[in-house]
Amino acid sequence: MPAHLEVVAARKAFRTPEGGVMTALDGISVKLASAEFVTLLGPSGCGKTTLLRCISGFETLDSGDIVIDGSAVTQMPAHRRPVNTVFQRYALFNHMSVARNVGYALEIAGKDKREIRTRVGEMLDLVGLAGLGKRSVSQLSGGQQQRVALARALAGKPKLLLLDEPLSALDKNLRQKMQQELKAIQRELGIGFVFVTHDQEEALTMSDRIAVLAHGRIQQIDAPSVLYQRPANLFTADFLGESNLLPVTLGGTTATLADGQTFATPHPAGRATLLLRPEALGFALPDGPALSFTGRIAETYYSGKDHQITLQTPAHGSIRAVIRAGGQSPEIGADLTLHAPAIGLHLIDEVAG
Amino acid sequence: MNLARRKVLQLIGLLGAPTAFLLVFFFGPLLIMLVYSFLTPGIYGGVDWVFSHLNYGRILGWADTRYEKFDPVFLSIFLRSLRLAALTVVTSLLVSYPAAFWISRMSPGRRDFAIFLVTLPFFVSLIVRLFAWVLILRPTGFLNQGLMGTGLTSEPIEFLYTDFAVVLGMTYVFIPFMFLPLYGSIEKLDMAQLEASADLGATRIQTFRKVILPATLPGIIGGSIITFIPALGNFIVPSVLGGAKVLMIGNLIEQQFLSARNWPFGSALAMMVMTAVLVLLVVQLRLARRGGA
Repeated sequence: MPAHLEVVAARKAFRTPEGGVMTALDGISVKLASAEFVTLLGPSGCGKTTLLRCISGFETLDSGDIVIDGSAVTQMPAHRRPVNTVFQRYALFNHMSVARNVGYALEIAGKDKREIRTRVGEMLDLVGLAGLGKRSVSQLSGGQQQRVALARALAGKPKLLLLDEPLSALDKNLRQKMQQELKAIQRELGIGFVFVTHDQEEALTMSDRIAVLAHGRIQQIDAPSVLYQRPANLFTADFLGESNLLPVTLGGTTATLADGQTFATPHPAGRATLLLRPEALGFALPDGPALSFTGRIAETYYSGKDHQITLQTPAHGSIRAVIRAGGQSPEIGADLTLHAPAIGLHLIDEVAG
Repeated sequence: MNLARRKVLQLIGLLGAPTAFLLVFFFGPLLIMLVYSFLTPGIYGGVDWVFSHLNYGRILGWADTRYEKFDPVFLSIFLRSLRLAALTVVTSLLVSYPAAFWISRMSPGRRDFAIFLVTLPFFVSLIVRLFAWVLILRPTGFLNQGLMGTGLTSEPIEFLYTDFAVVLGMTYVFIPFMFLPLYGSIEKLDMAQLEASADLGATRIQTFRKVILPATLPGIIGGSIITFIPALGNFIVPSVLGGAKVLMIGNLIEQQFLSARNWPFGSALAMMVMTAVLVLLVVQLRLARRGGA
């Protein structure tokens, strides 16, 4: 499949008010297939919003290229680019009705009134606001304004939709509902979505692929399950979800932990880090565990469907585990042995610290 | 005591004093002027209590044929005042709009300082400031000396005592009146909306027409009204910078009350100004209602 959006070696630095230089994009390259939902995920200041603004044309790259459908748009001003944006605070035109907001791109493009009215009607249907066209924007709730912003950005049939943390102002229930709707709309329209968020759960739920950004670089770009289970580096492993990171020594065919436990691995010799997700740990396993950890329960939280346990072990320090609730409740101070299956182990070729 | 009664008493307590003040010191004199404008001027000043429509006639087209023929001079002064006031509104808008835009994008500290600078002229007496303009504009003034010194002109240009000088002076005086309401609406403008407009395909000019202008229209209308009203009735600027050549209605009213001692005629002129202002306010209300709906 040809690349729909291609960012090539993008660099962008800002001058800070203090006189320093902040590198927002440090040579980012990424390709997006058409109809793909890609999320840019990272802590604040990682460059994800800057990348989005460079794609939409509000910022210009210091060097590098942005190619949409085979043509470079790097030097093209924002109003001529075939992309539209859903803004974080919606940025609706509050002196216009809902319908005029949604039809703005068409009005600007000089389409005739009847065509605009038809398209606006379609868009309002799509986002579930049918019949609200005559309302003033200020009469709408936050969730409805969000939908107007989405309809407005889609009305002009962009080749690519950019979304800048669009759900961050909504409460949790509404946010989850909108996540599903956004995903459904994206599938229905079959256009590419580039979604910026710092909410990893949101990213994992919605995306075809997630690009994890930090320090102006893409740390890893992969499908959510790959990213979560097989992170390429320590940053991704640590940033995404909860993790236990244990140093190991590799010896050809086996890896050895600090307490002398070993497990088989095809990695060459050297030092590495074992990623052990808390939910990979559990009680006795039928096939026999690959690794076992014994320690004293230092903390435990009950969340309804599971217990979150912090196990204090002599060799590895604290190890976090999530145990499905239903059996015996763990108690602080009690000794406990937890086991991990071979399939729950993932090695990262990097050493912490 | 029931709630409604208490509310009424509260309202009276809060609004009673200002209402009484305005009734006695604003509405009262206005009523006197209205009555005077329909009376006959006394021979030695004051009024004779005889009904007369000729005060308005002298302005609008019929005169007391025993003493004078109708002369449209008063009407032309009135029209000139409308024109100069309108010009003042336009020039102060042209100066203030970009300035307000620029200042609203400054860092907060510099912004406050810039707004302070805009209001700074209020700290100096108006007369002093206007005589400073005389020094600048007169034939041997700074402006003409500069123009001749650089060889752009060989003769001094008559700036002083022209429409130009009056509009310049009034623009100078009323810029803060225009600036502050404009700034209020421009500062509220959401920059993200401008980006959204560009994102949806609008050029800068389209964004200005469709987003910036409508969003700042309340400020433009507000600033224009509160500039136009005092500019229309202004008599200090035209008397210092316009001299006898550029008489405005404010000067005429002042003369009728202070020199000519023809209070009924002066009152009629004042009522004309007030009518013009009221018409304008009605138009503004209409516009505001349409914009707000």
